[in-house]
Amino acid sequence: MLSLFRWTFWITVWAIVASFFHYTLPQVDIVRVTDTYESRENPTSFTLFWAPADIGPDGNELARDVFFIQTRRAKGDVMVYRNEDTGWGWPPYFKFDTSNLQAEASDLASTAAEPRYVAIKHYGWRNEFMSIFPNAISVRAVDGPDAAKGIPWLNIIILTTLAALVYGIWVRWRRFRKSRIDPRVEAMEDDFADATGAVSGWFGSWRKKP
Amino acid sequence: MAGLIRLMVIGFIVLSVIYVCLSLYSRSVRKGKLRADWHEEQPDQSLDAYLEEGLKEYDKSLRRKLILSVYVIPLILVSVVIYLTNFA
Repeated sequence: MLSLFRWTFWITVWAIVASFFHYTLPQVDIVRVTDTYESRENPTSFTLFWAPADIGPDGNELARDVFFIQTRRAKGDVMVYRNEDTGWGWPPYFKFDTSNLQAEASDLASTAAEPRYVAIKHYGWRNEFMSIFPNAISVRAVDGPDAAKGIPWLNIIILTTLAALVYGIWVRWRRFRKSRIDPRVEAMEDDFADATGAVSGWFGSWRKKP
Repeated sequence: MAGLIRLMVIGFIVLSVIYVCLSLYSRSVRKGKLRADWHEEQPDQSLDAYLEEGLKEYDKSLRRKLILSVYVIPLILVSVVIYLTNFA
């Protein structure tokens, strides 16, 4: 029972960690931009998956116009990206060039008859039920639908550094616990055992009259 | 602009916490090493005097000043990311 609980706990923790990185770290898609548009959005639910409202020039307006990039991916399905500033907030892409990116994307638009492929870097998820869209970071023209996406050096560096950092802290914490906390807990347990021994001994002296 | 201020304030607080923790940790590591040295070398000084002298030297050392890179590195990283995202 306890092991079941422990497993559930750790699987949940790791699932949260993994989905956090899957959402936040950049990924590259090879796509064909079919169109770009702008739409009035007033995200009231799942606001976590949209840029904060105060990124734009007017921080008080909740509803705002959001750029979108419509694409068909090289593997065949369609994908719609939102194109929003992240500003100084999370995730730390520090993206301020949304309008420029929209102009580039519009410039690279093509038809199915005369396809032109681009690599679009983005983070985030598309979910139809929650109406959330991945956020495009950059576009660049590539040769064709089979173009290489490149090795994700940034993701490798970030994940390796974080893993090393967490491991380093964990090892030191364990060492600290072993040398400072465990002996005290043991001493307390010993004291407690002595005390209970003494008390029961005293009671014993009561009961057993010689 | 409010975003920038928020980032700077929160960043400063978080980095300061890291800085203080790292400083204390680094100093305690140095203290442990000095103590081990004292036991090995058996100098004429008392342990306390030996530690005090060693830590005074540590306070002046480059290693301690390098901990300031806790503030510098994120600043450089942010600048690089801003350049790469918007201008590269």
